[in-house]
Amino acid sequence: MASVSGSMKGFYRQKKNTTKSSKKAPANAKSDAPQLVSHADDDYSASEAMLRQFDMNMAYGPCAGMTRAARWERAQKLGLNPPQAIQTLLNSGKVQSESLWDGRI
Amino acid sequence: MGMDSENNNLSRLQCSYASLDEAFEIGKETYRGQQYSHIYFARLHLMRTLLYSLVSQWKPQTPVCTVLGLEEGKECVIVGTLYKHMKLKPCILDEYSKERSAVPLVKPHNFMHDDDYLVLEDESGRVKLGGDLISPSVFVTGIVVALHGKETGAGDFSVLEVLEAGLPPQIEFPLKSREDKYIVLVSGLNVGSNNSNPLQFQLLIDHITGHLGDEKEQSIASQIVHVVIAGNSIDIPRGLTNGQNLASKDLSRIAEPIKELDILLNQIAAGLPLDIMPGPNDPANFSLPQQPLHRCLFPGSSAYNTFRSCTNPHSFELDNIRFLGTSGQNVDDLEKYSDAKDKLEFMERTLRWRHIAPTAPNTLGCYPYTDKDPFFIESCPHVYFVGNQDKYESRVIKGSEGQFVRLISVPRFSESGVAVVVNLRDLECHPLSFGTQFSS
Repeated sequence: MASVSGSMKGFYRQKKNTTKSSKKAPANAKSDAPQLVSHADDDYSASEAMLRQFDMNMAYGPCAGMTRAARWERAQKLGLNPPQAIQTLLNSGKVQSESLWDGRI
Repeated sequence: MGMDSENNNLSRLQCSYASLDEAFEIGKETYRGQQYSHIYFARLHLMRTLLYSLVSQWKPQTPVCTVLGLEEGKECVIVGTLYKHMKLKPCILDEYSKERSAVPLVKPHNFMHDDDYLVLEDESGRVKLGGDLISPSVFVTGIVVALHGKETGAGDFSVLEVLEAGLPPQIEFPLKSREDKYIVLVSGLNVGSNNSNPLQFQLLIDHITGHLGDEKEQSIASQIVHVVIAGNSIDIPRGLTNGQNLASKDLSRIAEPIKELDILLNQIAAGLPLDIMPGPNDPANFSLPQQPLHRCLFPGSSAYNTFRSCTNPHSFELDNIRFLGTSGQNVDDLEKYSDAKDKLEFMERTLRWRHIAPTAPNTLGCYPYTDKDPFFIESCPHVYFVGNQDKYESRVIKGSEGQFVRLISVPRFSESGVAVVVNLRDLECHPLSFGTQFSS
């Protein structure tokens, strides 16, 4: 166990809450996707990066619990005009068919 | 209609029938472990597109923004799904926080409380709703509305006006029919229950099939063209369905009510078209849309092509008059979470919100669709009925574009002995009651 010298404040870094008092709880930060940090054991190609951007795009609805292809079909059916490039990529078969959260949540 | 002068044979009138239940059939869906976020997304997207087009006429000058885009003090319109936070709503976590007691906690029939508040939610965020003009007692979780108002300093959204989707467009009511044709709606037969009186239902069957009364009464019966049974047709003794192994005599006790029902329905199906819908107590799946009762349950009746096992909710057309009905779960759930002067008012609200069961999947079991919400009402029915209610009630409501709907609350037949008869010519309806009390 780490020795606790002085106060506990040094042990647990504390951050001041600087956001304005607002009852709104943003579910996702704005419209650009969050930064995806790549780890050594988590290499992914450019096409996977593009598919992850598609997964994260709120306009097409939730991505967890459905295959990417099914989500693209749904977006198409609801008239959201998802980019054709994504579907061609999914049809090529060399990419992960499930969303990035598959097996993680 | 033929009258044989020698025997005076009456023949029954006929009408065209079209089933619109395809949207409620689950056969083609596959469950892949998805949760309910998808059905909410489909509902929000569908209704938001609709509301955006209405908002441009409702408040042409006011900007429309998302919840996250709200600015304090600036008047705008936001569209999203309502969530009602209810203090008394049972929560699964209560089972873990309270001490386990042998006697279950008494649950109130209605979970409303003065402290309930509404929250509006879209993909970007949620905001608590304030102001006196929006009353939480009227709304429930799951409705999509447009709100005009502004954000207050406290972070709430103060509502000035609410826009609901309103009654959907309606196909024209066919005016050319000149003859009286009747449809009989009945629900809550509860065959097999201690409280149901088999004689009452037999009287109903005899009346419909023309085995009762004199020529005049028979000619009235010959004008009945269709029968719909709206749920809860059988009542299996509760003690037999709690999962324990059953002795063979108990197994036959479970099957008795359904066999009895088949015999009774056989008599009706032999004479005229019959639709049977599943209800909360019937041997069908629990979550909405309930799938049709299996034809193996009705070996006798299903041999007839007049016998149709339907989904709940049930949508169909008779002579181009559109009917929509449920076995009661949608309205019963609304009654637990909101307030209205009568059941018909709940029904009217579901039409004006354009959604049959807004509380699904929150408090009403529902299939987790991924790309659609079949409870969204696309076309306004001419007749909207709800079964298994306490009493018979009916009224006509009008829409802003000339739509009119006959709302009918069909009572439980086993308790009241009342069925409902609707005239297809003018949508007038009246109750048909059967009593078996003999005054001494």
